[in-house]
Amino acid sequence: MKYQSQQVAKLYFIAAIGLFVGQILFGLIIGAQYIWGDFLFPQLPFNQARAVHTNLLIVWLIFGFMGAAYYLVPEEAETDLVMPWLARLMFWIFLAAGAATILGYIFLPYADLAKLTHNELWPTMGREFLEQPTITKLGIVVVALAFLANIGLTILKGRKTVINLVLMMGLTGLAVFFLFSFFNPTNLVWDKYYWWWVVHLWVEGVWELILGSILAFILIKTTGVDREVIEKWLYVIIAMTLITGIVGTGHHYYWIGTPEFWQWWGSIFSAMEPIPFFMMTVFAFNMVNKRRRNHPNKAAVLWALGTAVMAFLGAGVWGFLHTLAPVNYYTHGTQITAAHGHMAFYGAYVMINLAMISYAMPLLRGREAANSNRSQVWEMWGFWLMTISIVFITLFLTAAGILQVYLQRFSDNPMPFMEAQSKIVLFYDLRELTGLVFLIGLVVYIASFFVGAKEAEAKTDGEEVVTA
Amino acid sequence: MNETRARHLFRPCTWVYVVLLSLTFITWLVGVNHFSGRFFAFLVFGFALLKGQLIGDYFMGLKQVAGPWRWVVFTWLLLVGILISSAFWQTV
Amino acid sequence: MSETKKPRWPPGDLVIWIFIMAELLVFGVFFATYAFTRAHHVAQFDTYQLTLNRNAALINTLALITSSYFVVRAVAAIRADNSQACFRWLLAALAMGLLFLVVKGAEYHHHFSMGVNLGTNTFYMFYLSLTFFHFLHVVLGMIILLAVALKAHRGGYSAAEHTGVETGASYWHMVDLVWMILFPLVYVMR
Repeated sequence: MKYQSQQVAKLYFIAAIGLFVGQILFGLIIGAQYIWGDFLFPQLPFNQARAVHTNLLIVWLIFGFMGAAYYLVPEEAETDLVMPWLARLMFWIFLAAGAATILGYIFLPYADLAKLTHNELWPTMGREFLEQPTITKLGIVVVALAFLANIGLTILKGRKTVINLVLMMGLTGLAVFFLFSFFNPTNLVWDKYYWWWVVHLWVEGVWELILGSILAFILIKTTGVDREVIEKWLYVIIAMTLITGIVGTGHHYYWIGTPEFWQWWGSIFSAMEPIPFFMMTVFAFNMVNKRRRNHPNKAAVLWALGTAVMAFLGAGVWGFLHTLAPVNYYTHGTQITAAHGHMAFYGAYVMINLAMISYAMPLLRGREAANSNRSQVWEMWGFWLMTISIVFITLFLTAAGILQVYLQRFSDNPMPFMEAQSKIVLFYDLRELTGLVFLIGLVVYIASFFVGAKEAEAKTDGEEVVTA
Repeated sequence: MNETRARHLFRPCTWVYVVLLSLTFITWLVGVNHFSGRFFAFLVFGFALLKGQLIGDYFMGLKQVAGPWRWVVFTWLLLVGILISSAFWQTV
Repeated sequence: MSETKKPRWPPGDLVIWIFIMAELLVFGVFFATYAFTRAHHVAQFDTYQLTLNRNAALINTLALITSSYFVVRAVAAIRADNSQACFRWLLAALAMGLLFLVVKGAEYHHHFSMGVNLGTNTFYMFYLSLTFFHFLHVVLGMIILLAVALKAHRGGYSAAEHTGVETGASYWHMVDLVWMILFPLVYVMR
C-alpha cells in the first residue's frame, strides 16, 4: 500500500465479506424452502428470503467494487484520495441504509414495508432485484454520487491510466443505469423493457468494464508484465463487451411483448457475448505465463485466474446455453436460468471481488506483499471448496432445469408447474447439500484471515523467474 | 519498395485494386439486370470470396506471413463460403 | 532485398488481430443466419431485394475498395519514411469512408421515407440490421484512421516504428473485407 487513504478500502472489504455470509445463509434458507415448502413459514416467506439473498449479493458486490476502487484508484493515479473522510462517511450511511432495508425485508411483510416507506408517493418497489424502498434507492444515488465525485476528482488530480479510466466508465455506467430503477411505467412491457437496462446493462455491460479493469490491475501487480500490453488487451475486451453486450440485451426481450426483431438481435449478438469472456481467459493465462516475477501472493493469482475461467464458463458457456430464441422458447424462466445465474455471478463478480480482496487485504493489514504460507493455504482451500461447490450447484440446477423443461414444456403431456417441481426435488436436495459445502468453504476462507496472521510472510525464494 | 518499383511499372497492390474494381463491376452488372439462378448467384459469390482472399493476401499483407496467421482470412472465407453456399444451393 | 524468413505475425499489433477475428466471427454468424433465414422465406427475400438500390451499393463498394487501396499506399509511404505522404493517403481514405457514409445514409433515408422499419418484414429486418452494424464499423474504422492520420501528421511514425499505422490499416481492411461478402449476399444473389 502506497497511500494512507487507500486504508479506507479495508472497511468496505470487511463489510462485503460480512454481507456475503448473510447472502449464503439466506441462500441456504431458500434452498431448504425448495425442499420443504413451508420451512420458516409464515415468519419468512420465500419471496422475502429470496429478495434478501439477491439484494445482499448485489449490495456486497457493490461494497466490494467500491473498496476495490478506493484501493486501486489512488495507487493508479499516484495520489491520495481527495476526500477519505467522505468515503468513510458514505460507508456508514450505505451500511446503515442497507441493513435497515434488509431488516425491513426480513421482519415486515413486503406490503407493509411499502406502506411504511410511502411507496405510493413515487412507486418503485416490487420488481425483482430492485425491491428496495424508494427512500433506499435515493440513498443509493446519494452514496453513488459522493463515491463517483471522490474517485473522479482523485483521477483528475493524478496520473491518468487506462485502468482508472475504464474503471471510472464502468462505475459511472453503474450509477447511470441504476437511475432506470426510478422509472416504473404502468405498461408491463415498457416496465420490463427498462428494468433490463438496470439488470442486464449492469451485469453484461458496465460491470464487465469494472471486472476487466480490476483484473488488469491485479495482473499488472502480480505478474510485472508491461502496462502497455495489458492496456491493449483491456481495450479490445471492452470493445467486444460493449458490441455484444449492449445489443445482447435483446435476449431478455423475447417473449414479453416487444417487436420480433429483438429475437434476431438478441440471438445473434448475445451468442457472441462469450467472446469477451474467452478473451479474458486467454488474456489472464497469457499474462501469467509471461510473468516477469513470481508474486508471493499465490492466492491472489489463483483467484484472478479462477475469475477468468469461471466467468467464461458461467457467463459465457452457461449463458450461451439458453440465449438463442428457439432454445429460450422452452427454457425461459426455468432452473436453467438459475444455474446460469449462480455460476455467472460467482465466476465473474464474486471471484473478482475476492481476487481484489486477496491481493489488497494483506497490504492493507501491513504486510509487505502477501500473507503467510499457512494463511494462503487456508485461503486456497476456501477457493477450491467454494468454486467446486458452485460448479456442482450449477450442474444440479442444470439437470433440474433440463428435466423441468422436458416435463413441463416439451413432453407430449406437459405437467403443471408444481407437479414437475415434485419430480425434480432430488436435485434440490443435492443442491442444498452442496450449498452447505459452499458455506464450509466460506468459513475456511474467512478463517484464512486469522490463521497464520503472526507468521512470517510467504516468500518466493529459489523460484525466481528469469526475465528475458 | 524502391526495388519493387524499379522492376514493375505498377505496384502489386495496384493490380489487385484493378482486379477488385473489375470483379465489383461484374457483380453490379449481374445485380442491375436481376440475373438470378444458381450460375449467377454462385458466380458473384465466388467473386466475393476471391476478392476477400485478395484483400487478405495483398491489402492486409497476410501473403507475407508464415504459419497459422497466414490463413486467418482464408479460413473465415472458407467457413462463410460453405455456410452461405449450403443455404443458397437449393434456393436460387 | 535479401530473402529473409517470413514473419510469424501479421502486420500491426497482434491484439487488433484478435479483435479482427472476433469481429469476423460476429459477421460470419450474421451472414450465415441471413442465408439460412432466406432459405425459409425465398419469395419474400427475392421480392424485397429488388427494392434495394444496387447503384448505391456499387458506389459504396468502389468507395470502400478505393479507400482500402489508399490505406495500403499510406502504409507503403510510412515504410518509406514519408510521414506527410502517409497522412495524405489516409485523408484520401477517410474521404472515401465519408462518401460511403453519405451514400448509405441516403439509402436509409429513402427506405425510411417509404415507411420501412425493422418490423416491416424479416428481409428488411436483416437488411437494416446487417448494413447498420457494418455502418457502425465504418464509423469506428474512420475514427481509428483519423487518430492514426493525426499522429502521422505530427510525425509520430517512422519507417522503423509504424505499428500504429499497420494496426489501423488492418482493421480498415477488415471493414472492407466484410462488405465484399455483404454486397453480393444482400444486394445481388437471388
